[in-house]
Amino acid sequence: MGVAFVAHCLLNQNSKVREGAHCAGVYSPIVDVLRAKGWRVEQMPCPELAFAGLNRFWAVREQYDTAAFRRHCRRLAVAVAGAIAARAEQGEEVVLVGVEGSPSMGVTVTSSDPDRGGRPSWPEGTPEHTGGEGIFVEELHAELDRRGITFRVAGETHALATHDVATERARLESVLGDGDA
Amino acid sequence: MRDERSFRVALVADHYVNPAPGGLDGLAVLAAAGWGVMQLPDDAYPAEVARLLLAEIAEQVEEFSRHGYVFVLVGERAGLAEALARVGVAVPPRVEPASPGELSEFLAAQPDPPALAAAENPAG
Repeated sequence: MGVAFVAHCLLNQNSKVREGAHCAGVYSPIVDVLRAKGWRVEQMPCPELAFAGLNRFWAVREQYDTAAFRRHCRRLAVAVAGAIAARAEQGEEVVLVGVEGSPSMGVTVTSSDPDRGGRPSWPEGTPEHTGGEGIFVEELHAELDRRGITFRVAGETHALATHDVATERARLESVLGDGDA
Repeated sequence: MRDERSFRVALVADHYVNPAPGGLDGLAVLAAAGWGVMQLPDDAYPAEVARLLLAEIAEQVEEFSRHGYVFVLVGERAGLAEALARVGVAVPPRVEPASPGELSEFLAAQPDPPALAAAENPAG
C-alpha cells in the first residue's frame, strides 16, 4: 500500500492565504485520484498558517526564508517525518503532494523575488515562479534524507500559469504509477 | 479574485478519511458539504509521533478559532483534548456518525461561522 502525504490545504482550503481558496473545503481533483488509485491520504500541517496567520500576505520564498521560519519548519518536519518513517518501516511507498509555486510547499516549483519587501505592492504580472522546493519541503526533504527515507513528489498546480486540471491529474497518476498502491 | 473558503473546519478521525472497506467515507460527506478537513493522526502511530502532530494541529485550530471559523469533531482521537487545552481551545461539538446522512444532518445543524458574516460585511 502507498501513502500520500498531502499539503494541508488540499484537504482544507480554509488555510489558504486570503483570496487563495479555490473551493470551500476539500480540493477533490487531487484527493479523488489518490483514493481511486488506492493510496492512503495523510495531511501535513500548513507551515504558514500557525506561523504567519490567516491574515498573512501573499509572499515569495525570500520573505519566508528567515531563521525563525526555518526553525518552525524543522519542528514541523520532525513531526511529519516521524509519521512518514512509521509508514516507511511498514514497507509502504511514500509520495509527497505539495503545492507548486508555493514559497513553503512547492515540490518542483516555488516562488522567488529577491527584491520583494516593504510596502506590499508590485507590478502586475511580475514573474516569480522558479524551479525548486519551498522552504518546508526543503526542510522535510533534509529530515527524510537524514533518516534514509526515499519518496516521490507531485504537486497541485493552481498557481501556475499553465494550470490545467487534466494535466495536473495526469502528472499525479504518473507519479503514483500505473498499478494500485 | 473570489475566495471560496467556507470558514468551516472539521477535525476528523483517520478512519473517516481513510475508511476500511464498507466503512463510512466521512471525507466524501465533508467535501460535498463544503467543510475543510483537519485529519487527526492514525491510532496506529507511536505515541510520540501522535503527540507532535496533535500539538501542531492544536496550534492551527487556535489560529482559526481566533478568527471566527467554526469547528466540529468527527470521531475522536486520544490526546486531542489535552492538546487543545494547552492552547486554550475547547473540544468542539462532536459526532460519531454511523451513516452519511447522520453526518450531513450534524453538519447542517451547526451555526454559521462568525468569520463568514465578517467576510460578507467587511465594514460591519
